[in-house]
Amino acid sequence: MTLLQTLTEKARQLAVRSPWIYRINAGSCNGCDVECATTALIPRYDVERLGCQYCGSPRHADIVLITGPLTTRVKEDVLRVFAEVPDPKVTVAVGVCPISGGIFRESYAVHAPVDQYLPVDINVPGCPPRPQAIIEGVAQAIALWRERI
Amino acid sequence: MNAMTLLLRNLIRGPSTVPFPFGPAWTPARMRGRIEFDLAACTGCRACEQVCAPGAIRFDKTPEGLRFMMWHNSCVFCGMCNFYCPTDAIHQSNDWHMAHAVGDKFDMAIREVIPYTACTGCGNKALASAPNPVGVVPPFTPEEIEQQRHLCPACRKKALAERGAQP
Amino acid sequence: MLASNTPLAVLLFPGGLFALGLGLMLKGLDRRVAARLQGRVGPPLAQPFYDLVKLGRKRTMVPDIAAQPVFLGAPLIGAVTMLLAAALVPIPGVYAPNPMLGDLLVLLYLLAVPAVVLMIGGSASGSPFGAIGFSREMALMIAYEGPLVLVVAAVALRTGSFSLNDIVAYQKAHGSFLFDPVMWPALLAFLAFYPANLGIVPFDIPEAETEVLEGPLLEYSGPALGLFKVMSALKAVVVLGLGVALFFPLAPDGVAGLIVHAVKLVVMMLIGVTFLRVSMGRMRIDQAFSFFLKWPLALSIASLAIVALA
Repeated sequence: MTLLQTLTEKARQLAVRSPWIYRINAGSCNGCDVECATTALIPRYDVERLGCQYCGSPRHADIVLITGPLTTRVKEDVLRVFAEVPDPKVTVAVGVCPISGGIFRESYAVHAPVDQYLPVDINVPGCPPRPQAIIEGVAQAIALWRERI
Repeated sequence: MNAMTLLLRNLIRGPSTVPFPFGPAWTPARMRGRIEFDLAACTGCRACEQVCAPGAIRFDKTPEGLRFMMWHNSCVFCGMCNFYCPTDAIHQSNDWHMAHAVGDKFDMAIREVIPYTACTGCGNKALASAPNPVGVVPPFTPEEIEQQRHLCPACRKKALAERGAQP
Repeated sequence: MLASNTPLAVLLFPGGLFALGLGLMLKGLDRRVAARLQGRVGPPLAQPFYDLVKLGRKRTMVPDIAAQPVFLGAPLIGAVTMLLAAALVPIPGVYAPNPMLGDLLVLLYLLAVPAVVLMIGGSASGSPFGAIGFSREMALMIAYEGPLVLVVAAVALRTGSFSLNDIVAYQKAHGSFLFDPVMWPALLAFLAFYPANLGIVPFDIPEAETEVLEGPLLEYSGPALGLFKVMSALKAVVVLGLGVALFFPLAPDGVAGLIVHAVKLVVMMLIGVTFLRVSMGRMRIDQAFSFFLKWPLALSIASLAIVALA
């Protein structure tokens, strides 16, 4: 391999260790959002060990967590914010609401499943999923992210 | 001063982080996790379908029998089906490792069929489901359950009456 | 003592790669120690370095309404300025900056550039959060630049020169200012100043994630954001190095002096940055502004008066 290729490969291996997480609430009841907050903020389930960091701007994000069935009210805004996340990115649907609508499935204001509008990569079912289950989903997302960066 | 003692305590005692995902995670025994379905114990009463909050459980009548289908991506893990099932055929384990790639979305389902069989009493088509144990005194023995499984509903009622138990 | 051969000083040692490495290591140590103080495990020590490499591999998205040259030029100017500033800070016993490069006054001006560049980049991005960050950063800068200038004036008055080499030499001859009671108000004012300059809780309101969605940094991504991180790492080395040079620069020569300098930077950072970050909540902009106009300003004016009279 040429020097440039070696350097690029080495850079890729280092870059893989810093996936930044951004959470989009697409009309969620906040149960999953509270569980997502606990995976970052409380010392018990520290997600910073994996190199992750919750960032405040979609433009800084690598892994996008989506909670909530896509309600009509926020659908346009969610699509717009999602478009601001730069590639390469990995999307994780947290909770059963983005996957199928969950308990709100038959509502007139809900546009689940989210993966008919956005490209979702990992699903984490649960209502809400355990913080450890979310970390497991994030770990699978990091494995996918390693191939894309 | 409170802050100082807290910080010192954190430094001395070390981190209180659970080792997952670099180690095992403790799971409580009664945690409501993945649904498990015991086909042999199902009575086909469809109570779980009635009480399922998000409608994740569905029964369909097919030529082979009564098909049970539940999808984990619609389930909210409330435990109502477990509570109302008369035989605990549907129950929840404490398995929470369900994160999956989106391509496997429809594999997170349970699909089982309670088959039709010929009644040993009268020869009609009968569903080979377990008998409903609610209100049966004294309770069914395993041999009686197996015997009742191969009877049509009319023959089951006759067998119960002969047994002398309340229907 | 290594005299400064200027391009090498800016690009390699003590500016450039050395300062960047030191700054990233300081930030990594800060995150790890803060995590341990909070009872968590924390990221690996080289985490800021991984963050930087990752940012280099993504692409910079420029908003449609942004003023593109300013938007992209602002982080570049900030990073380059901090590279130059790192070559101006002496490492006692190892490196003395070339007087032709500049002295303390030039360093003061250069230290003001990162905040200005953050403000300009934020407002050039066109987002309303950038505008809020702009106004708050400006208010905070006005608040903390006052004590800084007065502290520097007090030290210069005491030593009789604005050159950092002379300040270090004076303290070598007369004992470092850390143990000089006349300079203690100045030391306290400097201790209050540098967390605000580095943008640390409780003074990080302009670029707070939960308040203004990261303010000026909101629209940045990829290598441009990486340049801002480079700028902030270099600024940490410069400001902490300035504090060391002003107040306790005594160190042995050679490699031991380098190690002692690094240890001093780590100690300053642990006291003023890490400990403060984990034990305090964020101040509102009016609280931070009025805080600086009370005790730090009073302390710095008092230190100037005491030095003038002594």
